[in-house]
Amino acid sequence: MLFGLPITGATITYFVLALIIIVSGVFMLTLTNVMHMAVSLVGVFLGVAGIFILLGADFVGLVQVMVYAGAITILMVFALMLTHRGLNGHLQGEVGPFRGTLTFLSVAIIVGTLLYAIRSTPWPGSTTALQPFHQSTVNLIANAIFHQYTVAFELVSAVLTVALVGAAVIARKEE
Amino acid sequence: MIGLTWLVPVLPLIAYVVLLATGKRMSEMAITAISVLAVLIGLIISIGVVAAVGQHGPYAPVVYNWLAFGQTTLTMGYQVTNLNAMMLLVVTLVSTLVFLFSKSYMHGDERFSRFYQYLNLFVFSMLGLVITSNLLELYIFWELVGVCSYLLVGFWYFKPEAAVAAKKAFIVTRIGDVGLFIGIILLYLGTGSFDFTVVFSHLHHFASAQASLGALGHDAITRLMNVQTWVTLTALLVFVGAVGKSAQFPLHVWLPDAMEGPTPVSALIHAATMVAAGVYLVARMFPLFEASSTASETVAIIGGVTAIFAASIGLTQRDIKRVIAYSTVSQLGYMMLAMGVGAYVSGMFHLMTHAFFKALLFLAAGSVIHALDTQDLFEMGGLRKYMPITHATFLAGALALSGIPPFAGFWSKDDILTATFDSGHYVLYAFGLIAAFFTAVYIFRVYFLTFSGTYKGSKHPHEGGWVMTLPLLVLGLLATFAGFINTPFAPILSRFLQPNGPVGIDPPANWGLMAVSAVVGLLGIGLAYSLYGGGKRADAWAKRMGFLYALSYNKWYIDELYALIIVLPVVTLAEGLQFFDRWIVDGLVRLIGEVGYTGGVSLKYSADGQIQTYGLVTAFGLAALALVALRIGGVL
Amino acid sequence: MALQPFLALGAVLFGIGLYGALTKRNLIIVLISIEMMLNAANINLVAFAHFLPKPNIEGQVYALFNIAIAAAEVAVGLAILLSFFRARNTSDVRDMNAMKW
Repeated sequence: MLFGLPITGATITYFVLALIIIVSGVFMLTLTNVMHMAVSLVGVFLGVAGIFILLGADFVGLVQVMVYAGAITILMVFALMLTHRGLNGHLQGEVGPFRGTLTFLSVAIIVGTLLYAIRSTPWPGSTTALQPFHQSTVNLIANAIFHQYTVAFELVSAVLTVALVGAAVIARKEE
Repeated sequence: MIGLTWLVPVLPLIAYVVLLATGKRMSEMAITAISVLAVLIGLIISIGVVAAVGQHGPYAPVVYNWLAFGQTTLTMGYQVTNLNAMMLLVVTLVSTLVFLFSKSYMHGDERFSRFYQYLNLFVFSMLGLVITSNLLELYIFWELVGVCSYLLVGFWYFKPEAAVAAKKAFIVTRIGDVGLFIGIILLYLGTGSFDFTVVFSHLHHFASAQASLGALGHDAITRLMNVQTWVTLTALLVFVGAVGKSAQFPLHVWLPDAMEGPTPVSALIHAATMVAAGVYLVARMFPLFEASSTASETVAIIGGVTAIFAASIGLTQRDIKRVIAYSTVSQLGYMMLAMGVGAYVSGMFHLMTHAFFKALLFLAAGSVIHALDTQDLFEMGGLRKYMPITHATFLAGALALSGIPPFAGFWSKDDILTATFDSGHYVLYAFGLIAAFFTAVYIFRVYFLTFSGTYKGSKHPHEGGWVMTLPLLVLGLLATFAGFINTPFAPILSRFLQPNGPVGIDPPANWGLMAVSAVVGLLGIGLAYSLYGGGKRADAWAKRMGFLYALSYNKWYIDELYALIIVLPVVTLAEGLQFFDRWIVDGLVRLIGEVGYTGGVSLKYSADGQIQTYGLVTAFGLAALALVALRIGGVL
Repeated sequence: MALQPFLALGAVLFGIGLYGALTKRNLIIVLISIEMMLNAANINLVAFAHFLPKPNIEGQVYALFNIAIAAAEVAVGLAILLSFFRARNTSDVRDMNAMKW
């Protein structure tokens, strides 16, 4: 038993991934070197992708790897490098100690309340199967998106296009 | 012609609207033409109406439903009776002449068009007041004429005296109007209707005890009073309205001040028509006053007191218009006296003749003022040479006012005095007789100071052209001959106004009383001549009278008395309340405002534009709420 | 495995992201922290999709939509950052205070 959970392959995988995510997250916030931060960021995103796959959402996990760990991280690193030429790869710091403590306390209380709520809520009985979907999730997702959520899907495409054009316009150098 | 009666008031209204729309773009000639035409057509229709009524008697009211609520329907409409047919004629006739006269008097005034607009609006309201068929409508027109009077008295608003006088006229008459309004409401509660015909038929039933008050279930009134109290109270309240409008003692103070307005206005509104509305109201509501002897007595006493009181003030005033104004108050007192002693016809007769000779006196005075640019009697004199027509017509008016036979005023005033004597009011008769003596003295004082002696001013006076002299001549003829329509030998007006009265047994002419009246008038003229004839000033005589002179010259200190016992307490109270309002109430309000403002000013610095601060505050708040929720949930 | 551990992981990741978003002075790090918070939400969605009494693919679909919108947000956020940096030569959130009193 590990924290009240039976020791199975899935449980071990979960704890490993959770550890990676949390440690990477904390590193992400404490490190000051740009490249170190980028690496921890990738750690968070990959860990989350692993969690997705552990939950049987292999397609979402794949998308997570491609979009976050790939595209967004690279974008962030680029942005960091573009804006911190003179910082020797280091970022300026944080808020003062008072404010930091206050923020930490508030966040801790919120997270603690959430954890308490999660613990004390009688969740409905759930499947224990590792793979609850009897079909390939890609098929299922495709069905849902292109039948049930067509309009939403098209809207998202429109939003992405607008965001793309808007980003280009905003970031363009003014003559 | 009867079918066209509604046009009589509507024509001036149309003229008003036309003038209002065109404003200053029209020439003075066109403005006068439109206005005179409107009232002239009204005059012609009125003549037809009078003829028709003379043959046919009163017509049924023509009414339209206006508002229906509950069991009551308010109506609007008009009614032609013998009484208001006569009033129509008087009002339109005087209006036509005054409209004509004003063209010359107001010539060159920047607001010429505005003046005629107000006049037209006034004539519309006055005629509406005359022919209305119910009390509510009457009240509306009653207030409308009040507003027009206010506007016209204050026409030269840039003169501070005029602005003050306009306010005074409006406020003092308003005091009376409140009484009238309460009276009308009481009448409505008692009879369930505003219509004259319905009200009068109820009064008739009350008199014969066939009906009880509260005809339409307004039984609140029956619990409060019995029929006799109700009648008396209502009559007195209606009379309060009449006192205000007709400038009777003690609400007379506004009329002399109202002379600040242009003189044609004084002639039309403050002599011939609007101030007579109070008398007309009493005449119109005559069945009500007949039903209550207390009310009638009050009317008679107020009328008699006003007659002698105002005449005594008129003796010493220096402003020509003020003398005539006090004369108006005094003559209106005569009319009220007549109404009070039940001499309905005499009162209306005097109203008519007075409308003619008083309008004449005002217009003649206006002609003099127009020529001299002064209103001070002691700066005039010797105008007989320069202004023969004005002189002659003024003399006719003065003789009529003094009650010298055979001028119009003699017949009507003698009618009133005889009726007073016959009804047994000997004290009031004596009052009337003394007032008649005073009247002759003051008006001939004005006459001698103005027209005899030598001219003292420097300006060269002259007559004001035909538009001024024609109205004077017409009114002069009327002042001279209008009395013949109701002599004791041929009481035409009496038969007209009371077609159902006793026929063939006209009261015999009381030669004794007639002679007394005439002699008193002549004595007054004689006294005036001995004091002021040939341009004398009679200063020594005034000095000898000392206290009495001061009393009269200062109008019996009535204004000062009011200032002391009414205005002063009200102003003191108002200032106290204003202090309370400004410092206590406003102070509280400002305090609250200041707290909010200061709080806002100091708190605005918390909006530092830092998104992270906002986020932190939100997170902190959420955490606090979470703690509270956990505490309530019993977790902590 | 049960639902709760995943929800707990999501809550903790959300807390880390929130703390970072509120304390870091660099705009890029703030953006990254917000991405972490979004990821925490995604974990919850996928976990619910897996552990509901009747497993449902819709949680995963929502997670996908979320990722798409987050990508758009990052694109716009970084564009604003670049524009801001070009104008003020800084990427410190404290300098983004034009909206103060």
